[in-house]
Amino acid sequence: MNDGWNIVVCVKQVPDADDVTIDPDTGTLNRSDAPAVLNKPDHNAVESALALRDAVGGTVTAVTMGPPPASAVLQAAVAAGADGGVLLTDRAFGGSDTWPTSLALARAAEELDADVVICGEESTDSSTGQVPPGIAAHNGWAQLTYTESLDPRPDEGVLVGTRDVEGGYERVATALPVVVAMVFGANDPRPAGLHRKIFAETEFEPVQWTAADLGIEDRVGLVNSPTKVGGMDTASPVERERTRVDSVEALYDHLAEVL
Amino acid sequence: MSREATTAGGLQRPTLRTETPSYDDAFDAVVVGAGLAGTAAALTMARDGLDVLMLERGPAPGTKNVFGGVLYTPTIRELVDIDGAPLERYVAEKRFSILSSDGDETAISMRPGAWRDEPHNDSYTVLRRRFDEWFAKQAVEAGVTLVTETTVTGLLRDGGAVVGVTTDRPDGEIHAPVVVLAEGANSLVSEGAELKERPERDAVAVSVKEVFKLDRDTIDDRFRLDGDAGAAYQYFGEGAVGEAVGGGFVYTNKRSVSVGVVYRVEDAAAGQTPEATLDAFESHPAVAPLVRGGRRIEYSAHVVPEGGARAMPDLVHDGAVVVGDAAGLVLNSGVHLEGTNMAVESGYHAGKAIAAALADGRSDAEALAAYARDLDQSFVVENLRHYDWFQRTIAADRQFLFEDLPRALASAETEYFKMDRASKDEHTGAARDHLVAAAGGWFGAAKRAWRFRRMLS
Ligand SMILES: Cc1cc2nc3c(=O)[nH]c(=O)nc-3n(C[C@H](O)[C@H](O)[C@H](O)COP(=O)(O)OP(=O)(O)OC[C@H]3O[C@@H](n4cnc5c(N)ncnc54)[C@H](O)[C@@H]3O)c2cc1C
Ligand SMILES: Cc1cc2nc3c(=O)[nH]c(=O)nc-3n(C[C@H](O)[C@H](O)[C@H](O)COP(=O)(O)OP(=O)(O)OC[C@H]3O[C@@H](n4cnc5c(N)ncnc54)[C@H](O)[C@@H]3O)c2cc1C
Repeated sequence: MNDGWNIVVCVKQVPDADDVTIDPDTGTLNRSDAPAVLNKPDHNAVESALALRDAVGGTVTAVTMGPPPASAVLQAAVAAGADGGVLLTDRAFGGSDTWPTSLALARAAEELDADVVICGEESTDSSTGQVPPGIAAHNGWAQLTYTESLDPRPDEGVLVGTRDVEGGYERVATALPVVVAMVFGANDPRPAGLHRKIFAETEFEPVQWTAADLGIEDRVGLVNSPTKVGGMDTASPVERERTRVDSVEALYDHLAEVL
Repeated sequence: MSREATTAGGLQRPTLRTETPSYDDAFDAVVVGAGLAGTAAALTMARDGLDVLMLERGPAPGTKNVFGGVLYTPTIRELVDIDGAPLERYVAEKRFSILSSDGDETAISMRPGAWRDEPHNDSYTVLRRRFDEWFAKQAVEAGVTLVTETTVTGLLRDGGAVVGVTTDRPDGEIHAPVVVLAEGANSLVSEGAELKERPERDAVAVSVKEVFKLDRDTIDDRFRLDGDAGAAYQYFGEGAVGEAVGGGFVYTNKRSVSVGVVYRVEDAAAGQTPEATLDAFESHPAVAPLVRGGRRIEYSAHVVPEGGARAMPDLVHDGAVVVGDAAGLVLNSGVHLEGTNMAVESGYHAGKAIAAALADGRSDAEALAAYARDLDQSFVVENLRHYDWFQRTIAADRQFLFEDLPRALASAETEYFKMDRASKDEHTGAARDHLVAAAGGWFGAAKRAWRFRRMLS
């Protein structure tokens, strides 16, 4: 591992939270109107990946699973400094929940020979937080969730993470490969340089991998998704019963009565 | 699966590129601002085969825009097919109204049948957030590179010549033979680089605007509209802008109504706040019913150049041109409030001139001078010159125009149409007396008529 680590950063395209509205009649999210942007917590993932590369050398490859327009979030990652990107895109992925999504990302990470996979804490549109542990589980790799900061020990082939736990923090040392989920807001994402941004938006092209490329065409999509959405509902505030009383005695009497 | 096995299986590896290429002098021109002027310039240059980089500080073109507004499309239609454009309504009615602060309104309204026919006199209400984004997309499709969320902070110089820009990003300098300054009315880059002086206070107006959401049907009923027809109402007098010199407007979009006021910065500096002015205008009995029940969905403020031809800066420099509002190209004559058409026209002429100059391998002021010349011969500068007198004349006559006249008209109307047992002849005489008195007698009225004759000429 003298030439540094293979760092993979998972980035997700989500509808811009500032522009998402909820249809009051159906209770569903109006995602279509909102422009698609990089999931906010993933900015922290990208920053950690770049900082890790700065510390140990190597490369950062951004990966996203989504329809072709999702390559915009790979551009954002490359603009910030990632070296390259992979778009996992295929009709077969349609309707995937967290299980096949993490399987696809796990397979991609394997293909990329990842030493470290870095994810965001959760997505702003589904926010399950299940994908990073899912990737680790599918590959049988170590995982560091709710990670505040990373401390690489390249000589020992170890990554130490500081994890946010109730009442304090803990430091966990793991062998590679490892999947990390960074806490939202854990760091200050660096702004993209002007020339890098121009490069990302004009010349950079991600490679595209299909489900068959990853050998998982029969294990993804809606039919392979254990989660089923039973229904959607909006919660409306419950009208509370109210009574006005004029004195403390009256209140006492009233309470005695209803209790 | 091991890495070797997959490579053998033909899975394409991502290209990894750590070093960043330099784009210095990779573009023929850098455009500062993706508004109407900037996009028109970028599109024109791209069509002429130039590589253009357009930098916009907002997350998307249009997000930073404030505007009444009616978009005037004669030049845009030459550049792009506007059938697919996100237009709100065409202007089917123009209405000019004088408001007193006592609640009086006197209005004249026009709905020429010709405006109902395509291309609707090239006048459409638009929401700039949507329109500018669409317009910039046309430029991108023509080959322009648009980079957003990037603020230009200054210009790079080599000797006296402009050779590029600096931005707020790391590694943020970029060199290019020509820079187009299309940054709008608040032209900090042009001023900072001394391409233009800070505008005099009397050459700038302040404007505030609100957008109210209403049902489409409600808007159609309130403004007597059908289909895509829309209304543009303009207001003058003390009831519109209080003690200031300026005007108010109400424009209909598809499902919202824009309401705003524009008046001299001088009046704002003297203590008349934009919020209070807009509040008073919106509560005037002639205006309030138009927006009643509407949900306020947007509030914005902006500056409007109104110095006319006198205040125009040098348009052409070594390596740089100034277009649109940054060059002060807005006509505010009372009857006309136009900036969009002038922005596009100037961007177009600038783009043409730059392409011609670069074809000769030049980017100095002399080579770019065709832009200034062409603009000078276009309607843009001609109109600005023609109405140069207006702002000064109106300011000098504020008391009469904004306070006395609106009241006198209302009193005259009251007299003229009065129902009592006096004869019509007596009412006419009394009505005439109100007007003549307000105008300063017959002599004063004649003088004023002469002074303002050019308004309609
Ligand atoms: C109750 C429920 C039901 C759902 N049902 C369906 C359904 O029926 N059909 C359907 O299509 N979807 C469904 N979804 C959405 C789908 O499960 C998720 O969008 C997707 O699997 C990712 O999960 P997440 O967004 O919660 O990721 P999280 O686990 O919250 O994301 C954490 C991190 O994982 C990484 N990550 C997540 N997704 C991606 C990605 N696509 N590419 C790259 N990196 C990624 C990012 O780094 C992210 O920050 C459902 C979601 C929920 C909550
Ligand atoms: C309230 C109001 C009502 C109006 N009503 C009308 C009307 O009804 N009809 C009409 O024709 N005209 C109207 N106008 C005038 C019209 O809006 C302008 O003339 C027109 O928008 C000018 O276009 P522009 O491209 O020059 O500037 P702008 O439209 O202002 O565009 C400038 C662009 O540059 C960007 N920018 C600025 N600085 C930088 C920087 N440093 N780096 C990167 N990007 C930058 C901005 O974000 C913006 O996108 C109105 C103006 C106002 C304020």
